[in-house]
Amino acid sequence: MIEVENLTKSFRLTKDQKKEKAAHVRGNTVEAVAGISFSCRPGRIFSLLGPNGAGKTTALRMIATMLRPSSGRIAVAGFDTVREAGQVRRHIGFLTGATGLYERLTPTEMIEYYGRLHGMEPALLAKRKRELFSILGIEDFAGRRIGKLSSGMKQKVSIARTMIHDPQVLVFDEPTVGLDVITAKSIIQLIRQCRSDGKTVIFSTHIMGEVSLLSDDLALIHRGRLLYNGTYDAFMREMKAKSLEDEFIRRVEEA
Amino acid sequence: MKLLAIIFKKELKDMLRDRRTIFFMIVMPFLVIFLIFNLSMRLGMNMEKRAQEKELRVAVFSSAPLPGFVRLLQKGDKVKIDTRVARAEIDRAVNDGRIDFAISFADDFSESIDREESSEVGIYYKASTSENERALGRIHKVVEEYGKQLLNVRLQKKNLTTAFVEPLRIDDRDVSSVREKIGQRLGGMFPYFFVIFCFLGAMVPAIDLAAGEKERGTMETLLVSPASRLQIVTGKFLVVTASGIFTALASIVWLYLVFRQSRTVPPEVLSGVLKVIEWKSLLLLFAMVIPLCAFFAAILLSASVFAKSYKEAQSIITPLNFMVLIPVLIGIFPGIRLNAATALIPILNISLATKEIIAGTIAPLLMAEVCLVLFALAALGLLFCAHWFNRESVIFRGV
Repeated sequence: MIEVENLTKSFRLTKDQKKEKAAHVRGNTVEAVAGISFSCRPGRIFSLLGPNGAGKTTALRMIATMLRPSSGRIAVAGFDTVREAGQVRRHIGFLTGATGLYERLTPTEMIEYYGRLHGMEPALLAKRKRELFSILGIEDFAGRRIGKLSSGMKQKVSIARTMIHDPQVLVFDEPTVGLDVITAKSIIQLIRQCRSDGKTVIFSTHIMGEVSLLSDDLALIHRGRLLYNGTYDAFMREMKAKSLEDEFIRRVEEA
Repeated sequence: MKLLAIIFKKELKDMLRDRRTIFFMIVMPFLVIFLIFNLSMRLGMNMEKRAQEKELRVAVFSSAPLPGFVRLLQKGDKVKIDTRVARAEIDRAVNDGRIDFAISFADDFSESIDREESSEVGIYYKASTSENERALGRIHKVVEEYGKQLLNVRLQKKNLTTAFVEPLRIDDRDVSSVREKIGQRLGGMFPYFFVIFCFLGAMVPAIDLAAGEKERGTMETLLVSPASRLQIVTGKFLVVTASGIFTALASIVWLYLVFRQSRTVPPEVLSGVLKVIEWKSLLLLFAMVIPLCAFFAAILLSASVFAKSYKEAQSIITPLNFMVLIPVLIGIFPGIRLNAATALIPILNISLATKEIIAGTIAPLLMAEVCLVLFALAALGLLFCAHWFNRESVIFRGV
């Protein structure tokens, strides 16, 4: 479960940002996220939609405890992300579009490292690693240096790294960006599997096809503000444009 | 503590698989030391030898014949007297290299000598030619020898001995031990090696483990792990420190081996130096290398954490290379000694303490002060680095 209440995040403007000050920016700070609230429930997939610079990644980073909210509150699996950040990190798996992997390690070493960081017992770690490597088809290249793997292989290792400790909550920040169709499909299947396993899943994307394939709930965010928050079905019912993509553009342009 | 150990082990493994780090840790110290000893020393010795063995073309100008002087000049068999150059063209002949030296006795030389007065002898040479500058000593020696001969003639005429013009004979007696003498000379050079190598050895992993991680996107995944930021930064700090220590040790070992194998080092110097390098000195040096590397690791890691990319980290850290050298250079100046005040200045204190350690004159209290100062600065540096690691504006700068 993820509960986000009246979440705001302000950043001080850099010199370059001050020069190119946008209309919605006041003073020397910019509100990347401005008072948003939503909740993601177990066994459901929550999509966070928005154009570039909408505040999606900032919101996800706050959920994952990397950034501290300027105001508001987030609870992940019942733990407060500021006061109980360590507990939150034990219950969360975070996957970014840019595969953050150590190129000089092998997939086995990489996964074992994160498993140990999560305090997993060696026997449980070995079992979980075998399962994930089998599901994701990593066994064939488990001993090769990550730097020598293809981007699809790397993304599989990234997913295994995210899920090694079997987290209750999964955060996917544009997980299929830059991937080929086959790898992207396998990731979508995996996200669905997470839902079936009763996990709380939140993911951000630009790809409307993925939204329609995966979403149970969705939030539309633009310039840090929430334009829509509700179920996917309700969004479709309220739709005035012909397609999901057109509806997304219409709502952003109207805002 | 367990998480810290896990991070340390992983970072160490990752670092040891990085070819750039291995190059800076092991290969570069060897190359630098080998080249310094075998190229620069050989070059210097060859130049000295050439200057000594070079056949000098010398023109002698005097209004009266000086057979005694010319004989003395040609005694060493490496002087060719040139008679083609006229007195009026001395400057030009020396400048265009037709002759190496011109020795010009004053027109009234004979009269002055007869009157038992001093006479001026001009020696013309081109100092910008390094060989000639070195050979100048040979010419000076001959002129001085000739002067002594003239003096002896005068003294004999008056039935006097040389003691008459030499009422005092200076007898220099240096009471410092061989170790102290070598310590003062070698001790000035020694910090160059290990201070620079400590820095360079820590530099590459520091850039890779902070700015490199930011660039590769692995920092974010690490920040979402249960490890606290202090544990993450301490794990990285320990690996960077270990790399600096290893590089410094490698440089000391290479220095020892290359020095021992070097054919350019005179045997008496070699045996003297080997006597100086004893286990106690090495242990004391090692005791200073640890806090020095920790101090460098804290500075380098802070700079690297601040940088947005590997390239930016390199451009921030490169000027630090030169800044590190300045205190080392100051330590070589004569008259600057290790005391309670200079022991407080980082790097300078290492430079001065090394000289004292090699000379065997280090005071235990000052040694302790140097180590404590460096440990304190390293701890402050680590806290600062951890503080920066906690700042969103630094850790997500440009992300």
